[in-house]
Amino acid sequence: MLQFSKFVAVRAALAILTLVLVSFIVFTLMEMVPGDCAERYVAFKNSQGSVITPEDIQIERVRLGLDQPYIQRWGSWIFNAFQGEFGDSCILRVNIAQLLGQKFWLSLGLCLSALLLAYAIAIPVGILAATSKNAVLNNSLRLVSYLGLALPNFLLALMIMLFSTVMFGNSLTGLFSKEFRDAAWSYDRFMDFLGHAWLPIFILGWSATAFAIQTVRALMSDEIGKLYVTAAAARGVSGRRLLMRYPARHALSPIINSLGFDLNRIFNELPIVALILTLTEAGSLLIEALARSNDQQLAGAIIFMLTASIVGINFITDVILALTDPRIRRSIVG
Amino acid sequence: MTRLLDVENLTLQFDTDEGRITAVDDVSFTLEAGEVMGLVGESGSGKSVTAKSIMKLNPSNAVYSDQTKITLHLDDGPVEIMGLQTSKELQVVRGGAISMIFQEPMASFAPAITIGDQMVEQLMIHTDMNAKRSKEVSIEMLDRVGISDAGTRFKQYAFELSGGMRQRAMIAMALSTKPKLLIADEPTTALDVTIQAQVIDLMKDLVKDFGMGIVFITHDLGVIAQTADKVAVMYLGRLIEQGAVRDVIRNPSHPYTKGLIAALPSLDDLDTPLTPIPGDIPSPLERPAGCVFNTRCSVNMGEICHAKVPQFSAVTQGHNVACHLFNGEGAK
Repeated sequence: MLQFSKFVAVRAALAILTLVLVSFIVFTLMEMVPGDCAERYVAFKNSQGSVITPEDIQIERVRLGLDQPYIQRWGSWIFNAFQGEFGDSCILRVNIAQLLGQKFWLSLGLCLSALLLAYAIAIPVGILAATSKNAVLNNSLRLVSYLGLALPNFLLALMIMLFSTVMFGNSLTGLFSKEFRDAAWSYDRFMDFLGHAWLPIFILGWSATAFAIQTVRALMSDEIGKLYVTAAAARGVSGRRLLMRYPARHALSPIINSLGFDLNRIFNELPIVALILTLTEAGSLLIEALARSNDQQLAGAIIFMLTASIVGINFITDVILALTDPRIRRSIVG
Repeated sequence: MTRLLDVENLTLQFDTDEGRITAVDDVSFTLEAGEVMGLVGESGSGKSVTAKSIMKLNPSNAVYSDQTKITLHLDDGPVEIMGLQTSKELQVVRGGAISMIFQEPMASFAPAITIGDQMVEQLMIHTDMNAKRSKEVSIEMLDRVGISDAGTRFKQYAFELSGGMRQRAMIAMALSTKPKLLIADEPTTALDVTIQAQVIDLMKDLVKDFGMGIVFITHDLGVIAQTADKVAVMYLGRLIEQGAVRDVIRNPSHPYTKGLIAALPSLDDLDTPLTPIPGDIPSPLERPAGCVFNTRCSVNMGEICHAKVPQFSAVTQGHNVACHLFNGEGAK
């Protein structure tokens, strides 16, 4: 138990250190974008017809604290970021936490649901594929999962939309029906959300599932061939107990290990799917902020929150791993 | 002496993509209670497959011939092992009346399950002990095989023990259910020479105490000379010579057995070059016709060795060899 608490403490410290380092990189990248928030706002104002002088820019800089030294600004940015406060967007002039809040959690929820869906299917199917000698079953599973890997998500999304538009006259886009879009959370709104959310979750989960089945199958086949499984069978352990307690249990560690990576991959695919299904989620805001409006404050906030989610997931998976695998417990603390 | 095990006409083929491969061809031997039999041969000679057949532990693509008959004689009557089908029926030969220890103790313990949990699991499957009693018996067994601080070791994982300690733990686990027959598949090959001697001594002690039979698989004739009562030599899936260990080692009759003994390094005269058996064991896909050893045999007598499978004939009482040199037609 002491060993375990020590492991968790070390891991948590490493996670926070990682986040601080990442924040430094993110902040530096934000700084390297030509111009700063003040100039950008002023340029925006100019395009709206106002006439603004260099003095106004200077005043705006002081107001935003942009005249402070670089390290000091990073320090206060990271200090606020850890409290969930990211200041105002350069262009939109609204509080980023408010702007992002719900959208970010919705995005994270979509990605986590897709991940959950993927593994809920992949673990039993992968184990079945690894243990079954049935050639027809194995080959059809292989075909389906290659299809899943080869078929781009956006194509699948388009196909489903086209199909449902032609069949039901409803394109299934968005995350909420019109009447609920700006309503407060309620039971009805939540049900409406679920009615819309299954499609992006399914589409995001589709290729993730195919990928996860391949992973689970390969890991299981690998473990089943190991001597300790034969040795357990030689001791009289058999059937489901043999399968679950020996190869499946030991194949689990690398699977848990890959969850953080999978989440990242799903998040990367979210913006394209969101674009097609016209979802307003954090991924599309990120593209908007990075590519179009050059809103460094907003982009930085999204990247930081995304990184924090991945670091957080990795921390959680590490703790689960340490609970299930004694070798991992040993590896960090020594 | 009471008969413990009869293996009769064991023939085993594997169904593979390249066709059926014969791994064991018409092997018969017997074992008495309390007797240690060495099963000797190079890698690929089929000795492990033969041993695993006794537990029906070969992979599912293994096909046993109809003539194969393996009988285990227990106090409450004989068990026909080939007739065992369900995992429940098979438990008697898997960890119940027969236990097996493997070459690599590290790899034969599940890495993420404590040694104690694996021992308790086996006891709970095969006996009616409860978890508490199983734990006590397991710790006693660990102590019995010379593991110090057995209570702590019980809670540890295989990777936390040294090589010799792991093999001791493996032996403790194998013997905890008091099997009548122990199959030891190269149990000392992966160990240091000094540890090897300790483990062999331990096994000899335990055989005496428990009165069980052992099938000891090895490629090391030196180990066999110290441990076994009798020895069976295998080559490419066939038994080619068997008899009391002294007879076979003092008076090896098959050219292959002679070659194995000649290939042993001698510490008395360090200048004599080693004399290996020329050539390699053929692929099981290209089994030679006639005597399986004819491709490497130094006294190959030509046609008869290529055409006819040699049958066993007696060299002396209880010492048999399958070679045309000793058969009627080819005998000198």
